[in-house]
Amino acid sequence: MTERIKKLTELTLKGEMHVVPRNVDFSQYDKSSPCYVNEDVSRLCEYIVKQEPVINEYCSFTGRFNFDGSVIGDAFKRGGHANTFAALSKYYLKPIDNLSTMEWQHATASYFKVLEKGIEGIKEEITLSLKLHTEPQEQEFLRGLNAVADAMIEWSELCSNKVSEFAKTIADPKAKQRLERLSSALLRVPRYKPECFYEAVLSIFVCFSADPDSVGTLDRFLTPFYERDIKSGVLTRDEAREYLQELFLMLQASTPISSVHFTRGGESHFCIGGYLPNGDDAFNELSALIVESLIELPTFIPQITLRWTKKLSSEAFRFVLDCERNDPHKRIAFTNDDKRIKCFTENCNIPFEDAVQYTMVGCNEPAFLGAITGSTSKGNILRCMETLFHSKSSLIVKTNSYDEFYSIFENELFADLQQIYDYDDMYNAERAKDINYISCLFFNGCIENAKTLTQGGCNVAIASPMLIGITNLIDSLIIVKQFVFQEKLISMQDLISALHSNWAGYEDMRTIILKRGCFWGNDDELSNSVAQQLYQSLYNFLKGKKNLFGYQWLVGDLLGYNEHHKMFGEKTLATPDGRCNYDLIKFGIGQSEGKDREGLTALLNSIAKCDANAIACGSTITNLYLDEKLVSEQANFEKLADMLEIFFNQGGVHFQLTYASKDDLVSAKASPENYKSLRVRVTGFSDYFVKLKPSIQDDIISRTVHRS
Amino acid sequence: MNGIIFDLQRASFVDGPGIRTTVFFKGCNLNCLWCHNPEGINLKRGLLRYSEKCSACGKCTAICPTKQSDCMLCGKCALLCPNDALELCGRIVSVDDVFAELEKDRAYYEKSGGGVTFSGGECMLQIDFLEELLKKCKDVNISTAIDTAGNVAWSHFERVMPYTDIFLYDVKCISESLHIQGTGVSNKFIKENLIKLASQFSGKIVVRIPVIGGYNATYEEMNTIAEFLASLNISQIELLPYHKLGMHKSEAAGVSYKEFTEPPAGFLAEWKNRLNSAHRCKCNP
Ligand code: SF4
Ligand code: SF4
Repeated sequence: MTERIKKLTELTLKGEMHVVPRNVDFSQYDKSSPCYVNEDVSRLCEYIVKQEPVINEYCSFTGRFNFDGSVIGDAFKRGGHANTFAALSKYYLKPIDNLSTMEWQHATASYFKVLEKGIEGIKEEITLSLKLHTEPQEQEFLRGLNAVADAMIEWSELCSNKVSEFAKTIADPKAKQRLERLSSALLRVPRYKPECFYEAVLSIFVCFSADPDSVGTLDRFLTPFYERDIKSGVLTRDEAREYLQELFLMLQASTPISSVHFTRGGESHFCIGGYLPNGDDAFNELSALIVESLIELPTFIPQITLRWTKKLSSEAFRFVLDCERNDPHKRIAFTNDDKRIKCFTENCNIPFEDAVQYTMVGCNEPAFLGAITGSTSKGNILRCMETLFHSKSSLIVKTNSYDEFYSIFENELFADLQQIYDYDDMYNAERAKDINYISCLFFNGCIENAKTLTQGGCNVAIASPMLIGITNLIDSLIIVKQFVFQEKLISMQDLISALHSNWAGYEDMRTIILKRGCFWGNDDELSNSVAQQLYQSLYNFLKGKKNLFGYQWLVGDLLGYNEHHKMFGEKTLATPDGRCNYDLIKFGIGQSEGKDREGLTALLNSIAKCDANAIACGSTITNLYLDEKLVSEQANFEKLADMLEIFFNQGGVHFQLTYASKDDLVSAKASPENYKSLRVRVTGFSDYFVKLKPSIQDDIISRTVHRS
Repeated sequence: MNGIIFDLQRASFVDGPGIRTTVFFKGCNLNCLWCHNPEGINLKRGLLRYSEKCSACGKCTAICPTKQSDCMLCGKCALLCPNDALELCGRIVSVDDVFAELEKDRAYYEKSGGGVTFSGGECMLQIDFLEELLKKCKDVNISTAIDTAGNVAWSHFERVMPYTDIFLYDVKCISESLHIQGTGVSNKFIKENLIKLASQFSGKIVVRIPVIGGYNATYEEMNTIAEFLASLNISQIELLPYHKLGMHKSEAAGVSYKEFTEPPAGFLAEWKNRLNSAHRCKCNP
């Protein structure tokens, strides 16, 4: 790492690179002026050009600004989106009927366009669309975009002037030269298309302000510039590394140091590799450099997902896995393109060339470039099982076969799913009342459709509410099938009574269930088939079902930063899987509490076999907890790499790794002072174990740690 | 055909090359004082009692059909003990049952150069069952390994050699009296079988030496082992340092156990090096 990057890292970790929003005193607007669109747009434009960039002698980039809520800001942080905030205040972390909560949604810009034709090119698209869309609302929206595009151009010119002024005060010739180059580049980009790798990075750097969520598929954006410049000799690999590192530091600095998210990865997450529109694998020298550059930095943000494909070489996979094992900050995750692309093309009817343009954001949510995530609400999928045993037990007490039981269960499941997805539409409808301008400049479809992103303006998107408790649900079904119908060891009446009394008086039954239950994750026929049947039901229910804006619904099982597994669990009565009243519910797809007894390959096989229809390729995670010894020796590491490649080959969707022994985790909870640097993968993000909420710590401790 | 096993472990990284499934056969004709799988020594099924976990709740006695006087291994007490203090050890399984489990990880074996390992106890004591399983694996090209202490008739080796790719062959010591002292039996057959195996078996032989402080972790004994192995055509020598994990299981299984010490790390590294390099010079010049 160069001295300059070291210095910038130091400043970033002290919080000094964060761009503090500048308060703007809004004046009166001349409503008769031809450039006046509406008050929202005028305030927004004024806000942008009144901001103050961070410039110092170490930078080779600048131009970031942040919103403070006083205007309708970017679509990710949603400052100023009044209706979204009103809805969040009603439904965020406040479950309706112990079934659903509204969540923050991601919004992912695409930088292809700005790198191809600059903001001027985007403005040309707006002009064209203005000719085609004549409705007053459409005209107003498009004119608003145009005004904001102009404000972005003005902003980069202002930054250029400020950099130039600052350069005059700098004595060090190298720094001066760097700043002068920055100043002149800011006059060209993002206004026009970048001419070199450096300008391309600068373009992304500035435009990130319009949607500070994810840098999407960074290797795809930058590869043409990188290859051209390396070939012509105007760029060295080391220079490229520095630029990338400075970009990553900006992503880290986007989150203020006072936020709990500063040390978590979910704030900014992007992808490398994956299929290209021509079917080739995208992983290249730049992808490798991106990973390498990132893990050299002692930072927490951003995180990277490698999109694995069947065409990715084993060496490349091992290279990234090796970076992962050497990364104390746990910033790398892995996803399976083959399964995801199958889902997007077959379930969502997205053409292959569009389907490949997705990235992973936040806590491991798939998102299309230039699109919002259609939903991220959380649903309690275990509630239908509770209803069946606690308030509708008369329906099941006389069932004679598992099939009969399952069809009653399926009705209840479908009713809850309908409700969960209806609530999701309701949240989206609330959110649609906000009209976003600035992010739409970099989203696909908003301009040509003359529609803002919250109203379905984006062309390609998916909607994936997260269903918390899928593993509990599968296990509950297994227990009913195994003990009530196959072995006939427990009668349905007794099971109902046991759950009604929260197992009191039925302790032996619970012990037998916990010890002998064919819990899911052990790769046996009974549990695999039960899981497959459940996923088939989810598929049948969702096939062809689209949300309010026409985006296909998918299934996710992710938990975010919040404790939905506790929130829902605390209101959910005992379930057949041995769970007691109000116990935590499991999230993600994996196992815990020693219920996966057959080892890692069995768990991986069970997961990979779960969902033949790939409907669960929404926000789905697999957290694997491994004993550190499994990777410390090279020979074992090779075996682990083979194992994970097979997992993807067989249809696994995602994995991320944490290396720690159970003893470490237990001790870390008891004596946090001794484990300050223990970092773990939690749901989709990583964080210091000792900083997590106790219920999330408990969940991690209960997960099975696999040894060799 | 049926056999008796006490464990089947998938995703093993330690019992041979690649990713493996290891089947632990019950029953052994050695009685090593340091055994780390003491529950596998007895050929019969049995009830393990982990006294340290027992809260004396009395449930096991109450539920037992024989009031715990003459256990018929019905397993009820183990199923209902709330503290996992009781465990029924040993399962009678058919060749097909075991093979069905082994097949599940074929993709992993193929990718990683792994396979299945038959271990124990002493897997060669259930020779018919073992031979059947080996044949079935070979039919579908699953690579096979046998983990043995070698104290069986040579004819057993002859039966399994055609279907075996790797032998993991345990050598505890060369001195006969020391062997008797540590394992209760002479090592005459063990040595003879290894010599024959090394000259007749075309696959890979990995010699595994448990290194036990207070028993064989001396320069003298290691030298003798090195000399013995030097002339033999074997592929690799592994040293397995002593650990105490078998101790609590010994008590539970009612097997005698003697506490030894872990060998110093330097000693292990030195001998790992010496044994393998001496050996490499001979067989892979
Ligand atoms: S049931 Fe278990 S805990 Fe209770 S007395 Fe028996 S062995 Fe001990
Ligand atoms: S296994 Fe059965 S017979 Fe033996 S002690 Fe336990 S309950 Fe009694």
